[in-house]
Amino acid sequence: MFNIIKSTPQSLGPRLGRLCLPGRKAIETPHYLGVTSRGVVPHITQDTFRRDAGINGVYVPLEDFIERAPQKIPPIYEFSPPDGSSPLRRFIALPEETVLVLGARRTPPVLAPAANPNTNTSISVCTAVGFRTLKAEDYAKAAEHLQPDIVVGLGDIPYGRALGSKRIEKATDRQIQWMQDHVALRNSNGKTKGRSKLFAPLSLVSCANQRFYMDCLTEQLGELVSGLAFYNLAPLEDLPAALHSLSRLAFTEPSTPHDILQQISMGIDVFTIPFISAATDAGIALDFTLPAPQITPPDHEHVAPRTLGIDMWLAAHAIDLSPLTKGCKCYACTKHHRAYIQHLLLAKEMLGWILLQIHNHHVLDLFFAGIRQSIALDVFDSERRRFEEVYNAHLPEKTGQGPRVRGYQFKSEGPGEAKKNKAAFTMLDDGKEKIAEARQEDVEVVVDGKGGEGGGSPAA
Amino acid sequence: MVLRPPASALKFDLVTKCATTKARAATLHLPHGPVQLPMFMPVATQASLKGLTPKQLEDTSCRLCLNNTYHLGLKPGQQTLDAIGGAHKLQSWPHNILTDSGGFQMVSLLKLAQVTEEGVRFLSPHDGTPMLLTPEHSISLQNSIGSDIIMQLDDVIATTSPDHARIKEAMHRSIRWLDRCIAAHRNPSTQNLFCIIQGGLDLDLRAECTQQMVARDTPGIAIGGLSGGEAKDLYCKVVHTCTSLLPDLKPRYVMGVGYPEDILVSVALGADMFDCVWPTRTARFGNAITGTGTFNLRHAAYANDFRPVEEGCNCTCCRPESEGGLGITRAYIHHVAAKETAGAHLLSMHNVHHLLDLMRGAREAIVEQRYPAFLVDYFHGMYAGDKERYPGWAVDALRGVGVDLLAD
Ligand SMILES: [Zn+2]
Ligand SMILES: [Zn+2]
Repeated sequence: MFNIIKSTPQSLGPRLGRLCLPGRKAIETPHYLGVTSRGVVPHITQDTFRRDAGINGVYVPLEDFIERAPQKIPPIYEFSPPDGSSPLRRFIALPEETVLVLGARRTPPVLAPAANPNTNTSISVCTAVGFRTLKAEDYAKAAEHLQPDIVVGLGDIPYGRALGSKRIEKATDRQIQWMQDHVALRNSNGKTKGRSKLFAPLSLVSCANQRFYMDCLTEQLGELVSGLAFYNLAPLEDLPAALHSLSRLAFTEPSTPHDILQQISMGIDVFTIPFISAATDAGIALDFTLPAPQITPPDHEHVAPRTLGIDMWLAAHAIDLSPLTKGCKCYACTKHHRAYIQHLLLAKEMLGWILLQIHNHHVLDLFFAGIRQSIALDVFDSERRRFEEVYNAHLPEKTGQGPRVRGYQFKSEGPGEAKKNKAAFTMLDDGKEKIAEARQEDVEVVVDGKGGEGGGSPAA
Repeated sequence: MVLRPPASALKFDLVTKCATTKARAATLHLPHGPVQLPMFMPVATQASLKGLTPKQLEDTSCRLCLNNTYHLGLKPGQQTLDAIGGAHKLQSWPHNILTDSGGFQMVSLLKLAQVTEEGVRFLSPHDGTPMLLTPEHSISLQNSIGSDIIMQLDDVIATTSPDHARIKEAMHRSIRWLDRCIAAHRNPSTQNLFCIIQGGLDLDLRAECTQQMVARDTPGIAIGGLSGGEAKDLYCKVVHTCTSLLPDLKPRYVMGVGYPEDILVSVALGADMFDCVWPTRTARFGNAITGTGTFNLRHAAYANDFRPVEEGCNCTCCRPESEGGLGITRAYIHHVAAKETAGAHLLSMHNVHHLLDLMRGAREAIVEQRYPAFLVDYFHGMYAGDKERYPGWAVDALRGVGVDLLAD
């Protein structure tokens, strides 16, 4: 399923691979997955996705589909396409060739209000009607029914919290239990055809600190696990050699292309990149390439770093008929121009964000192609250094307003905002955790806004 | 009166006249390609049809859409339009565009607009400075936009106004303004100026206005001032009166109409062109337009409904994947409605396609001399055969042109 084409002799380093899933177009790695919200890459309808987005794989969080569970069976659990194909793929109208990856939570997830929202048998998820409990058992069953190409096993990821040693121990125990149970469920189902590949989530600490789980993965589960999911880079530092052949999927919320390059240098294969949609919503057309453009400064003169994106709100674009970025082959750039996109943003027309979203994903597509090329040519390290010299370290500030915020998205934190794992929390013991959970059920956060109408213009 | 020889940038080919009703099938050749009449025109107010790419709009088979002059005059503004080279270039739309004069939107959106002989006075929504939209300025703006069909500035007042003297004044002023528009029009060989018949609900005023405007020999003719909440039977009388006095070989546009049954009845009364924001606007609230009524897919009943938005619909959204469509279900629209804009975009695709397809069906029926049967079938489907629910105004209006919806 995952072939490593080229890797560095040292244990960690950039590598080339190919992710081949039955019936899907192979994904050359390093690459990225489109991040969906309720089954769509935000702004992009399914026909435009097929025709103009050029995205090879998507990440879909289950929490987007289960708002009334367990009291009411989520509709998607009752959906079975007549041809026996993946109910999730059919429901969200994802093309056959696109790789479908299912996980439990969004990236970035909305942080649970309770300090320790997960239990030994469940995690806390954020649905359109507030926080809900998702049982590990239900998640595994749902994943088997929905038949994604890749299912990321349920992780006990303490988003937004620091980890004490007791909590790490507990997370490790849960992780072992949940993975074993999930594998047992798959074995009891018996069937192997059309079965998802199972990826194991890793805790936010070094492998040494989750040793029993590592032992479980290497010794017990072995062949049954096809890849690893990372929520930070800590476990990469001492990843056991036995797991090196597994593909590495990252939910690490990189906030710049520099972050991506750094993570590739540590051996990540597949990314989820929330900053693409965040740039789109900010009205920013991404503008960076690898290799970085050649700049020849006049003798020893300082050249200002290039910006990573263009603020499309600026009046300077008003009569500019050039594409967002020169030579870009995306739909937005080949069919439309800066003047139109600036007009659409000012007029609050939703098409503005659609066109930016198409362009921004295309920029990432080319960026990854450039990365793969540089690895193939053994120049990744030097190109990475040059990229860091040529470009600003941050995306430009947003100046205009984004699209009207959906009630549902309101609490989501964009990349660059609240960083996880910074808060220095002390560990709560079991009792306190249960109290916290009970309280959380009382003060359920309702984030579903009323009247999420998308338009902006007065009705004629 | 007419100050220069009339010019036209269109060719009107009358294909068939219905043997029973006043319906007509025609082909209208416009600067950016032919369109089939009767037709529905979706409204892309600010040079974008709510969330659809121009490519998707093309997919719905739309070949003529509206832009609003008032909005484009504000953003991006005339200077920018001139610099870019017009609205086709702005939105990369290779097909036809129709623009209104801007007057109607000014009067309806700006409370402080005031009509004088010179033009419409209003306060700039930007900074509150007094401004004036004259017939000359409206045409100049539309010349900058470069739309294939442009509308005269008319003196619009609500048909429901009780002030008969004002209605009469508005009618006569609209005629005078038409002359000023004709005189001001810089591109008669590439843009078609349509006159707009006014006169409220007074059939004599409407008849007088029609005769006066027909004499000006514009390439096309619009019936204006309707769709303002007047009783539907009075609306039908106005359309019927005007079309009876109009030449056969010019397109007739009823502005701001409307709902499917309004359109189908108006076609029977001899009108050819319609526009309305309703299909896209209602999509944003989760409403799907179908041949059996309009349904709000945000209703919980649709959460588990895995049928397409409209069964048998051939739009990109509804068509099964095996036939090159998306196979989107009602349950999925329910799932994304009001949560992701893509839900509204999908419904807009369906709704616009539904209206365009309805017109395609109507035209086919006219060409094959079965438009009366088409009307009977449509109302039967819409009201599930329950004739008591048929709207009386539609029954009466159609009886007036030889179609009895209630006959067995
Ligand atoms: Zn582009
Ligand atoms: Zn449809």
